[in-house]
Amino acid sequence: MKTISYMQAINEALLEEMERDGSSVYFGEDVATMSGAFGATAGLLDRFGPDRVFDTPIAEATIAGAALGMALAGLTPITEFSFADFVGIAFDEIYNKLGKWNWMHGCCFKIPVTIRLPVGVMAGAGPEHSQSPQALFMHSQGLKVVVPSNAYDAKGLLKTAIRDPNPVLYFEHKVLYGMPGEVPEEEYTIPFGQAEVKREGSDVTIIATSLQVHTALAAAGMLAGEGIEAEVIDPRTLIPLDKETILASVRKTGRVVITHEEQKTGGTGAELAAILAEEAFFDLAAPIKRVGSADTPIPQSIFLEQEFKPNEEKLMSAVREVMQY
Amino acid sequence: MAEVVKRDIDPARYDKDFLLRLYREMVKQRAFDENLIRLLHEGKVSGFYHSGIGQEATGAGTCASLRDDDYILYDHRGCNQMIAKGVPLDKIYGDFMGRLCGTTCGLGAGIVHVAYPEKGVLGQSGTLGACFVIAAGAGYAVKVKKTDQVCVCYFGDGTAARETFHGGMNWAGLYNLPIVFYCENNEYGISTHYTKAHALKNNIADRADGYGIPGYVIDGNDVLLVYEVAKEAIERARSGGGPSFIEGKTFRYRGHFEGDPALYRDQAVVEEWMEKRDAIKNYRARLIAAGAAAEEDFAAVDAEVEKEILDAIAAAEASPMPECTRIYEGLFVEGVV
Repeated sequence: MKTISYMQAINEALLEEMERDGSSVYFGEDVATMSGAFGATAGLLDRFGPDRVFDTPIAEATIAGAALGMALAGLTPITEFSFADFVGIAFDEIYNKLGKWNWMHGCCFKIPVTIRLPVGVMAGAGPEHSQSPQALFMHSQGLKVVVPSNAYDAKGLLKTAIRDPNPVLYFEHKVLYGMPGEVPEEEYTIPFGQAEVKREGSDVTIIATSLQVHTALAAAGMLAGEGIEAEVIDPRTLIPLDKETILASVRKTGRVVITHEEQKTGGTGAELAAILAEEAFFDLAAPIKRVGSADTPIPQSIFLEQEFKPNEEKLMSAVREVMQY
Repeated sequence: MAEVVKRDIDPARYDKDFLLRLYREMVKQRAFDENLIRLLHEGKVSGFYHSGIGQEATGAGTCASLRDDDYILYDHRGCNQMIAKGVPLDKIYGDFMGRLCGTTCGLGAGIVHVAYPEKGVLGQSGTLGACFVIAAGAGYAVKVKKTDQVCVCYFGDGTAARETFHGGMNWAGLYNLPIVFYCENNEYGISTHYTKAHALKNNIADRADGYGIPGYVIDGNDVLLVYEVAKEAIERARSGGGPSFIEGKTFRYRGHFEGDPALYRDQAVVEEWMEKRDAIKNYRARLIAAGAAAEEDFAAVDAEVEKEILDAIAAAEASPMPECTRIYEGLFVEGVV
């Protein structure tokens, strides 16, 4: 094993997969000469040249639509938006086109498009550069939704995304970029639809995604001091979703708290909660609790943005509440 | 500014087989369309239909210079173009009737969502205008693959006002992509005349100049002119010369959709186009005047086309409907790239 950052894990996955697939191209805003808004594409231009790695105009609808066109014409397009919030600019191309194109045209194509989408509150980026819009696409059809929470998952899932013949939205949290983690020296991939138990526990299940996995692990450590053993489950991919691992944990503990940085209302946790209510209602000893961000736009103030999002305190409080039952 | 191309083309410069091929393509499209409208009235067609009657010169004239491996993104009156590109008629009727023999294997399609990769037909979206950016991607793929394929992107004057028009044209010019943008200016985007939807100096094609793309304005109902100007643009794209923009002036005879009485148009103008500027009628007269073909040549083609159409309809009607479970098939492709 070696220790690299989440960002390096993304970079390694891109380098390895573009080496492996000569039809792959990487393009987007400032990705070639500047290595992307956060530096994840360093070395791609030198390695693969300006036809396969190129800077585009700052125009996301064109980037997403062109990715579809490239896929229809036989390439493996990999792209990114500088911030996931920009899906709003390309919503038609992602929601109506990328995900549905193959199905609505009779399933005669492969659409191996990967879009990297940096999410999350960080450093006062403000209401249009900090959001986590995953839920919009959990509701769409034909898109896979990936939410890696550490370097190991980031690399293995990105490699799987690039090899997938379907469009994949890869949501990466900006706060995680610098976080170190262990990855194998040798090649590996992680199949979609396999949740991981990040911490075992018997009293309560915390389902957490992206950066909130780390909040949940920190909270679980502190709750252990209070005699509460929390199990932390990271779905890792929301489409496809590993219901079995989640249901098995909830059936074991009988209590569940779902946490994500998305706003609470209509977040991906709402769907998870509904699944649990449908399929595990009689296994539950307590009501399902959700800990999401405030149902407000995201403030630009670095002080107020901390209030906006969930933290260990809020999560521990929710866990203590379900433990009352 | 776009070049307004006017040529008095002598049909005798072309051989008779070629001239009759263009004629056949146009009458096939019109017969397809007229029969589809009949089937619609008989209650056999799902969804809406946007007739392309009156605009047949576009597909016939442009596709004559395309190979099977060239790509097209057809437009909202696009049966004309997909027929000219070679999508089998029974498959298109099958899509309209929701039959298994259709390109969508029973899901249903009609104009939009017909795709046929073996003839380079990449499909079309129900929300128009994605064609510009999808064409940009397909054109970029040709550049990376280093083939000499060409992509033709068809759209109407209404769609030319979409935001994606800029994005696609910008990529095409910036990366010198092998794309021919063909604007079928039939004057109306639904009910709105194009002069009420576009801030224009003269023509929509003038915009190409700002992207460094050569622009041409032509009589889009003169199939030989469409053929010649498109051929030049396609050959330029194929040989690395980059994109072109052609605006063909044409007119749709029917409403925006079947059932639209089109009260927003002056009926005298409609009749003027149908009587004096009809692509098929004028082409026949011109070939006869030039001695390039005779009435019996056209009659023979008409009879063959009618049989081809009726056979295709019969084949589509003989094809079964899908099982209800069809909707659950194919959302995700299995395996890896």
